[in-house]
Amino acid sequence: MADRRRINGPPAGTRPPVYASLKESKTGVSERTLRQRQPTELRKFYLKTGMIPTASGSSYLEFAPSAALAAARSNPKSLIPPSSALKVACTVHGPKPLPRSVPFSPNLLLTTHVKFAPFAARKRKGHVRDTTERDLGVHLETALRGAIIAERWPKSGLDITLTIVEAEDDRWWGDAPDSHDASWGMLNVLAGCITAASAAIADAHIDCLDLVSGGVAALVSDDASTAPRLVLDVDPAEHRSIQSACVVAYMPARDEITELWLKGDSSRAALEKSDGRTGHEALIDGAVDAARGANTILTDAVRESIARSFAQV
Amino acid sequence: MSNQRQASSASQVPHLSPAELSYLYTSLSLPKNPIRPDGRSPTQFRPLSAETNILPGTNGSARIGFADGTQAIVGVKASVEKTILAADTLDSRSLAQHGDALNREGEEGSAAVSGQGEWVQMSIEIPGYRDDDALPVFLGEMMRESLVGSVAGGSEEVKEMAGGLKGRLVINKRWHWRLYIDVLLLSQPLAYPLPLLSLTTHLALLSTKLPKLKSTGEEDPFFDDDWAVAEYLYPRSNKQSSPSDAPTYPVRPPVTLLVIAVGENVIFDPNREEIAVADAVLAISITRSSDSENMKLLSIRSIDPPSRLTQPGIPNSENVNMLGGPPASSNQSGGQEEVGGVWRPRRGGVQRSVITRMIKTVLQKGGVGEEVIQGLEGVKVE
Repeated sequence: MADRRRINGPPAGTRPPVYASLKESKTGVSERTLRQRQPTELRKFYLKTGMIPTASGSSYLEFAPSAALAAARSNPKSLIPPSSALKVACTVHGPKPLPRSVPFSPNLLLTTHVKFAPFAARKRKGHVRDTTERDLGVHLETALRGAIIAERWPKSGLDITLTIVEAEDDRWWGDAPDSHDASWGMLNVLAGCITAASAAIADAHIDCLDLVSGGVAALVSDDASTAPRLVLDVDPAEHRSIQSACVVAYMPARDEITELWLKGDSSRAALEKSDGRTGHEALIDGAVDAARGANTILTDAVRESIARSFAQV
Repeated sequence: MSNQRQASSASQVPHLSPAELSYLYTSLSLPKNPIRPDGRSPTQFRPLSAETNILPGTNGSARIGFADGTQAIVGVKASVEKTILAADTLDSRSLAQHGDALNREGEEGSAAVSGQGEWVQMSIEIPGYRDDDALPVFLGEMMRESLVGSVAGGSEEVKEMAGGLKGRLVINKRWHWRLYIDVLLLSQPLAYPLPLLSLTTHLALLSTKLPKLKSTGEEDPFFDDDWAVAEYLYPRSNKQSSPSDAPTYPVRPPVTLLVIAVGENVIFDPNREEIAVADAVLAISITRSSDSENMKLLSIRSIDPPSRLTQPGIPNSENVNMLGGPPASSNQSGGQEEVGGVWRPRRGGVQRSVITRMIKTVLQKGGVGEEVIQGLEGVKVE
């Protein structure tokens, strides 16, 4: 039964109208921002631990806005922001005793909650977790469980909550939704979640085998004629179409992958002739390289966190 | 409650003692020829019985039962829906001509419209789980992702399937089919139910028929009443040599295989006991690519191996009962070194080389993927 007593706003929010003249400038070049980084160049990001004093461990991760986004914010030409930049806050509560109703467990039980803020994506998210959020939670749990030494905390639980304040776009917002149809932004969100959660777990002083970090690689084709090429740390808003993408959670010290999520058709990748790898192998290797890059920042953030806890003693 | 907490792991915490786990692991990780508890070869699947078109009220349905008693039913229903085209989703070309677009509607073929992944909805019901628990959601997303992601290559033969399943659902610019795939697991999930559900969905989609369209172009859709002339969702090629032959499909829905690695060995279709000792579990979705005979990879997801949640065994050197006094090292988690025959829960991830080997076993020519697809081609779908 609809609420007829009040004048309510539309449930899904509204978007400003987009005029054809805005989408194509006079020169005939669309306003889509193209990738200015090298294929192997990663975006910068900011990672800080211990932002939330009530949690036993916490971290905040923010990707640097792309050059195009920064330019559009200072000098707006269109009503559509060209892209968005990931912002994730992570809290870790525990290890704490399990409630009495839970049967004995010899290991630390991990619970992961990934929640988008209602305003995080272009389309409003409800307050109840939807399927993509639950799905991300399972991926994250798989990634972290491999890194945590769980048997050192029998009968205890660990709650990891991630709040996505701003999510990555799945496509350039001027595109029709079908042209780029898959939730490619989710892969970036997952990689960010893994890195942030790893920093928060280290901030909570929970024993891990290694710091696990997330990385994304994708096969993109910017025009239909060329074969898709491999880029690391892809921003979906910068490409016309993404053929295939892969996210890994990677532990550099052991050279091991705890989580792998690859989707899309990777068979038509343009690799060098001498490269004997198939498309999916190249994707996984690329994602691992991206994860290695993220790991350097993660290590610095954790070092900062430890220095701070020593200073408090 | 405890089930639900653990629901996301490959299934529940295995109820096996450390000694049993260690025995299983040792026999499964024997180099070159693992010994499986049920005597299968590493790439052999469990025997199954399958039937299709069992539910008269659906567009397509299938049932598959494994010999161990697990059964799944899949029903596919389709409904016609209006395509919502907000102003910002029109491309600028059509916006520029908006003034006269209304009366020239239908000049461009509907091929210009490609489908959307949201048009395929999947719900999975597993006894003992709520529908918003992690396991059904994860399984559903996994199967849906490969279904809507499989786009056929540029073969001319199957015009309808040009945009994959999504493209097939487009009726014209303003209308499309919405597909509801409802998966029902009838028995308790004895093993990780992914292979069963994926195979059943595959057969149900092959048997799915959509009513024949009578209207043309951009008219409102109008269908033939005669169910006998309905068209298959996945078109069949009509060059059959004899009527007794199974029809061939230029495009087939994807299949998701469950693959585990134990030690050096790669094992397919694990049962509950085998998955409990796995070092790594991968779900690999494949399909036969339409332009070549090779297998095509659609998606890979790693699944949390339940071996991480098992209880460790205690070696005799640390066992109080064997020594008659308190153990020498009171720090029980300190004894990390592997003792032969004593179970240690798996820790850490999986090497890249292992993942590559698992994928290769599926994709290579004459590999398991080809075998599974051939096996499914043997199933006659009415």
